[in-house]
Amino acid sequence: MIRYWPALVSVVLALGAIAVYVALLRVTVVRNHPELYLLAFAVAAVIAAAATWRAARWPNFVALGLSVVLLILGGYFNFVLARIPPAPIVLRVGEPAPDFTLPDATGAPVNLASFRERTPVVLVFYRGYW
Amino acid sequence: MQILAISPDPNEKSQELAQKLRARYRFLTDRDLEVTRRYGLLHAHGGHKGQDVARPTTVVLDRRGVVRWLQLADSIQVRPDSADVARAVRQLGS
Repeated sequence: MIRYWPALVSVVLALGAIAVYVALLRVTVVRNHPELYLLAFAVAAVIAAAATWRAARWPNFVALGLSVVLLILGGYFNFVLARIPPAPIVLRVGEPAPDFTLPDATGAPVNLASFRERTPVVLVFYRGYW
Repeated sequence: MQILAISPDPNEKSQELAQKLRARYRFLTDRDLEVTRRYGLLHAHGGHKGQDVARPTTVVLDRRGVVRWLQLADSIQVRPDSADVARAVRQLGS
């Protein structure tokens, strides 16, 4: 009797890694280490490859195909698409930040220098949603 | 401490996000990315539709407006640990 539990383990590991990553996206250590899901895909591929080598049956091929495709797509996203090309450094620790005035969400102008002598400021540049 | 969140998002979007996150910090709109560019934080064609966006970056300024801590992302997936930011702000003293 041929057992397909390694193929099942491989699929659960690969899909589980995606589910865990998405569910824990707000946890910094998970978000900042996407190579962890790539590692899970790689382990899933090795398990499926070993199972396929032992028994060339379709469930093993499916598990192998899934994990290899996820590994390639995940690697491409992580190492190519998500990379930000290096840019000339303008901001340096110990140097003043360039002043600016920008409208806030109500349209009122906000001037960076107006916070001087009053409070520390944290600037968060983010990608936006549009 | 004042947190200023800067993006090219139009105001309504920022307002939506502020309400969603129940954020008390201020969202500033850098519509044409002029300030982002001046800060050297432009990620050209980095948006999901190929539009220019900001490189995710967090900067801590002291009361004199001097940079005391910063983190520039080298991947769009990476965000600073809020504990690191809080520590940097605490080190400025109150």
